[in-house]
Amino acid sequence: MKISIRDVGNAKVVEVEGDVDLGTSPVFRRTLFEALPRAAKVALNLAAIRYIDSSGIATLIEVLKDSQRLNKEFVLFGLSPAVEEVFRLTHVIRIFQVFQTEQEALGTA
Amino acid sequence: MFNNQPENQADNPADNPGKAIGDARRCLRMKFAMPSDPRYLPVVRGAIGPLAAAIGWDDSECRAITLALDEALANVIRHAYHNCADGMIELECRESADGLEITLLDKGDAPDRSKICAREIGCDQPGGLGTHIIKNVMDTVSYEESPEGNRFVARKLLRKTT
Repeated sequence: MKISIRDVGNAKVVEVEGDVDLGTSPVFRRTLFEALPRAAKVALNLAAIRYIDSSGIATLIEVLKDSQRLNKEFVLFGLSPAVEEVFRLTHVIRIFQVFQTEQEALGTA
Repeated sequence: MFNNQPENQADNPADNPGKAIGDARRCLRMKFAMPSDPRYLPVVRGAIGPLAAAIGWDDSECRAITLALDEALANVIRHAYHNCADGMIELECRESADGLEITLLDKGDAPDRSKICAREIGCDQPGGLGTHIIKNVMDTVSYEESPEGNRFVARKLLRKTT
């Protein structure tokens, strides 16, 4: 798994590539929790994720809850088929703000 | 060793050398013995998807079956071996007459049945997602303790549409 962060205005865009599973989700989790307090909004690009398991989805739920506690925004965009499948199976998609593109996610479209 | 016996002696040509391999019932069977180390999970994921496709499931169902198996292995690593990488997990994926049977065997701590619970649909808590996925994807799931260790068996039926 590769993960990187870039600043776009007052937001941070987190890019993830590869597999998020039991082995890689601790880094995924740590990166998101470190980014959250440092920006008004964190937008997570899921387009290049080949695989995500329940530990990855659990991390997304935890980050969303923490964003609400900190009065920040945490949004998702670019869902790959692999991610859509897991969201479908876990029925958690409704709790997230999901956008097609980065521009839509950042409100600059 | 697994308890699952071949459906007949001809399943294993080594048990019946007079029988040609071509006479054996042609069912795909894949066995792994993997350490309880998450870095081996991608190896298993890379094998189960094509196996499910060969049996007859579409891409979406192959992804779901792969996810269910991965979640079951992750549960063993986390709960039976407590994230220690020096345990072993035996895995068998077997094509059956009506679908696929997955068996995991480990020698870690036995699961606490009272704590094996899937999350409820609509719940926004992170716990229980893996068990929910396994039960949602597979048709039957069972856990049992045996002299060989903890055994997890999950079956999925191939529903033909023709």
